[in-house]
Amino acid sequence: MIVATVGNVLVWAVWIVAAFACLGSGVAVVSFSNPFYSALALIGNLGSLAVLYLLLSSEFVAAAQVLVYAGAVMVMFLFVIAYIGPRTESPWAGGPSWQAVGAVLAASALLVEIIVVIGLKAGGRLAHSHHIGGSFGSPSYVGRLFLSDHLLAFEITSIVLLVAAIGGVILGAHSRRATDEVPPL
Amino acid sequence: MREVWWISLIKAAVIVNLIMVAFAYTTWLERKLLGRMQNRYGPNRAGPFGLLQPFADLIKLVRKESFFPSAAHESLYIAAPIASMFTALAAFAVIPFGAGWKIWHYHVDGEIANVSIALILIFALGSIGVYGAIVGGWASQSKFALLGSMRTCAQLVSYEVSLALSVLGVVLMGQSLNLVDIVNKQGATIWFFIPQFAGLLVFLFAMIAETSRPPFDLPEADTELVAGYHTEYGGMRWGLFQTAEYINLITLSALAVTLFFGGWHGPYAPLGPVWFLLKVFVFVSAFIWIRASVPRLRYDQLMRFGWKVLLPVATINAVITALLVVWVS
Repeated sequence: MIVATVGNVLVWAVWIVAAFACLGSGVAVVSFSNPFYSALALIGNLGSLAVLYLLLSSEFVAAAQVLVYAGAVMVMFLFVIAYIGPRTESPWAGGPSWQAVGAVLAASALLVEIIVVIGLKAGGRLAHSHHIGGSFGSPSYVGRLFLSDHLLAFEITSIVLLVAAIGGVILGAHSRRATDEVPPL
Repeated sequence: MREVWWISLIKAAVIVNLIMVAFAYTTWLERKLLGRMQNRYGPNRAGPFGLLQPFADLIKLVRKESFFPSAAHESLYIAAPIASMFTALAAFAVIPFGAGWKIWHYHVDGEIANVSIALILIFALGSIGVYGAIVGGWASQSKFALLGSMRTCAQLVSYEVSLALSVLGVVLMGQSLNLVDIVNKQGATIWFFIPQFAGLLVFLFAMIAETSRPPFDLPEADTELVAGYHTEYGGMRWGLFQTAEYINLITLSALAVTLFFGGWHGPYAPLGPVWFLLKVFVFVSAFIWIRASVPRLRYDQLMRFGWKVLLPVATINAVITALLVVWVS
């Protein structure tokens, strides 16, 4: 009994820390003037999202999130930013007006969503589901879903990735040919 | 039967310290072996056979002035070696070194944490560890350090792909990402280095590149880059980077033993951790031997080898293994 209570308190503490780290790092991404720091904050954001996944007992998704997004993808971001060098600009200074409109629209959509969820929860319509089995979130469970219920989305994603990879190869080959044509000095 | 939480804590503390000792004596072993292979003695002044040399080095590093470049980004400069060290130490938590024991009336597992995604966890921690190098190099605000960190980043990202693909065959045969399951499967059937020999070769090459050891030590090629991403580091901060590198070597050796050589299983006596340690020792010594024997590759050779040789071999190996596993079952 005491162990269960301590466990619950621990889950709450971790949730609070991860949720606020998520929000804080999200704000930090858009408010740093140095893009390198912004990218690091984004890594923090992805990492704290992974912790939230862990609390939802989806350990496979959490690890994949860290491996793919916080690991591989963000390394590329940092790589490019470090190469291009420090080009700082004030994050709150203007920008095109459609960006501001888009941001306001996205934020209000999120706000509506949050209000709806809170309303559902208050109305007791968001009841706990007890159908989650012990294997939920395990690699085999996720894999089975990929190859049964979500096969179409899975295959379409793989085709999109393949197209992107081929595009990258063609772009790279093109630029190499362009540099080859420069006569030797 | 589940382990009591305080046993896990004690075990974690013991293992962390054991790894630090293992690291210290890996440096000693490396210097001794390299010395003998180059017709010299290696460290032989501090203690018998130079056995106290690691501690002398530690005291020297700790007492050095902890400077940093005036242009450096202070907080990142300090955080980078800590991040490297943390990910290196954390990865060992999921590696099993024994079958588990019953001590008095408590159950003690043969690993710190038995998680279902152990293998992915190790790779995830490794991919976070790359940030130590890239952030450290960038935060130093020095050209050599930045170039070194770019190289490190490109090399580690390239070889991470091959490393992950090379173990796919083992995962398919063991039908689990849990390292304990994989070792048990090997104990029940056959050690996976026989059916997965191609995977093992790719794993070993990719592993040397991941730990930036010679002949793949381009991130730190002294003749080209001074010292790579840790050019501007000194004292124990540099020491942390170095420690992380050696611990990664030990962890990946232990992972190779776990995935391909039956983990804690041995031919005669059920000695568990002793067999495990012995196999890891053989691996680490072999990597030191390779360092003494093979000259450094050129950068384009390294990249071509990674993408055009290792990656296709690893992919074909994974596909064939998948077909065979489906066909047999």
